[in-house]
Amino acid sequence: MTTDQRPEFHAALNSLEETTMDMADRVEKMVGIAVMALVTSDDALVSQVISTDDTVDEVYMDIRSRWMQIMARQQPVGRDLRMMAAILELNNTLERMGDQAVNIAKIARATAGLPREETILAKLAEMGDLVKPMIRTAIDCFVRRDADECLLLPAMDVPVDVLNRGMWKHVVACGHDQPLLEWATRMVLVSRALERVGDQAVDIGEQVAFLMTGDHQEFTRVPDNVPDL
Amino acid sequence: MSIRLESGPVVVDSAVSTGAMSRSDASPEVAPVIFDIKGLNVFYRDFHAVADTDLDIHQNEITALIGPSGCGKSTVLRCLNRMNDLIDGARVEGDVLYHGIDLYGPAVDAVEVRRRIGMVFQKPNPFPKSIYENIVFGPKVAGWKGNLDELVEETLRRAALWDEVKDKLDDSALDLSGGQQQRLCIARAIATSPDVVLMDEPCSALDPIATYRIETLMRELKERYTIVVVTHNMQQAARVSDRTAFFSVDVGENAQRTGRLVEYDFTDQVFTTPSLRETEDYITGRFG
Repeated sequence: MTTDQRPEFHAALNSLEETTMDMADRVEKMVGIAVMALVTSDDALVSQVISTDDTVDEVYMDIRSRWMQIMARQQPVGRDLRMMAAILELNNTLERMGDQAVNIAKIARATAGLPREETILAKLAEMGDLVKPMIRTAIDCFVRRDADECLLLPAMDVPVDVLNRGMWKHVVACGHDQPLLEWATRMVLVSRALERVGDQAVDIGEQVAFLMTGDHQEFTRVPDNVPDL
Repeated sequence: MSIRLESGPVVVDSAVSTGAMSRSDASPEVAPVIFDIKGLNVFYRDFHAVADTDLDIHQNEITALIGPSGCGKSTVLRCLNRMNDLIDGARVEGDVLYHGIDLYGPAVDAVEVRRRIGMVFQKPNPFPKSIYENIVFGPKVAGWKGNLDELVEETLRRAALWDEVKDKLDDSALDLSGGQQQRLCIARAIATSPDVVLMDEPCSALDPIATYRIETLMRELKERYTIVVVTHNMQQAARVSDRTAFFSVDVGENAQRTGRLVEYDFTDQVFTTPSLRETEDYITGRFG
């Protein structure tokens, strides 16, 4: 039987991980709500995303502060040290994902009066539907310490990348209509934001692999020769 | 004013100064001051060991005294229960107020001071007697009239040792491991119902696991007692203490080395953003 000789330290570390996972839950919801705000032109949802991001930013600072205290006072080693490194990386990644959700929400607000093109909207909604499960998979893998399932993330990211790279064709097709083109050009930014969120979910998967193996890994990304959609 | 041998909590005047704590005064939950040290200077004959030290020790906190060899941290610790009285030629100047009472006042009984303010030393030093006798010795001397068996069990439980020794209370304390002996010494120190436990390098003779057990015990004990610990181990100070006092050494004429308090703050601050470059150099290993 093993006895925890450092219960206070491990309680602090567990608490820090729980806070990080709570932050991940918020960010996952923010991304979904941001895409919903865009598709439905619902300004209340835009406000909800921005408000949630204020909370996420506070949690981000709180995690950084507690992380510093633990590092300075507890000198973590071994898997505790890897967990600390992973949490710091996750904290940054999640905060940026939240920012991407805010970018999408603000674009939804800024383009509210412009004409829209349904094919582009459908593609963006599809990207949203693809990245949300990626975030959930990455977070679940982290919680379960599942270094195998997180290897699925690069494959899950492929259709997101493909949709993003194909977006320009749909935008060019709007060139005949100036207001529509203005809207479509903004949608490229939304597409790019969602593509980044997908990449960031893969980054979280890489942190799971590091946590479990100690190896710094770069998961294989989509090859350049995959055709655009 | 004398300190009386009465059981029960010490009433602390909440109006006692909390002292100067630069950035930390903003904390809404400042624990009451139990030791108010002002202008402390300690001499061993002509040797000026500690100079001009002001320090507040707060109730139910763990205060760590750190610094290089010869900085006077153990000397300051020994001033808190008049252990320096036992050293020939030692002289203490300045005020060491304990609950507002001058510990070095003429009416104060040094023996009673040491009952109120117990001490644990670097090397475990149990009496060469049974585990049971080690616990009851101090209370018996102090005139304890209660149930000794209950006292032994309660004390050993508080020292996180009961489960390991309950079936061998009559065995020699010297048969215990080093870590168990040190916990027994802590138990012995708290058996007389002290208010404060002073610890002078309590883990330096112990392995890492025994050290972690003592640190865990210290955190449990601070719920009941105020703890002041001297440690060479900065990491231990960082792990276990609420506040940290960093002492350094001034080398004067004739190479005389005099200790002085450099910085005192919450441990979080001292180990992340100390106020002074001298402190930062020491904790980051750029000292000397």
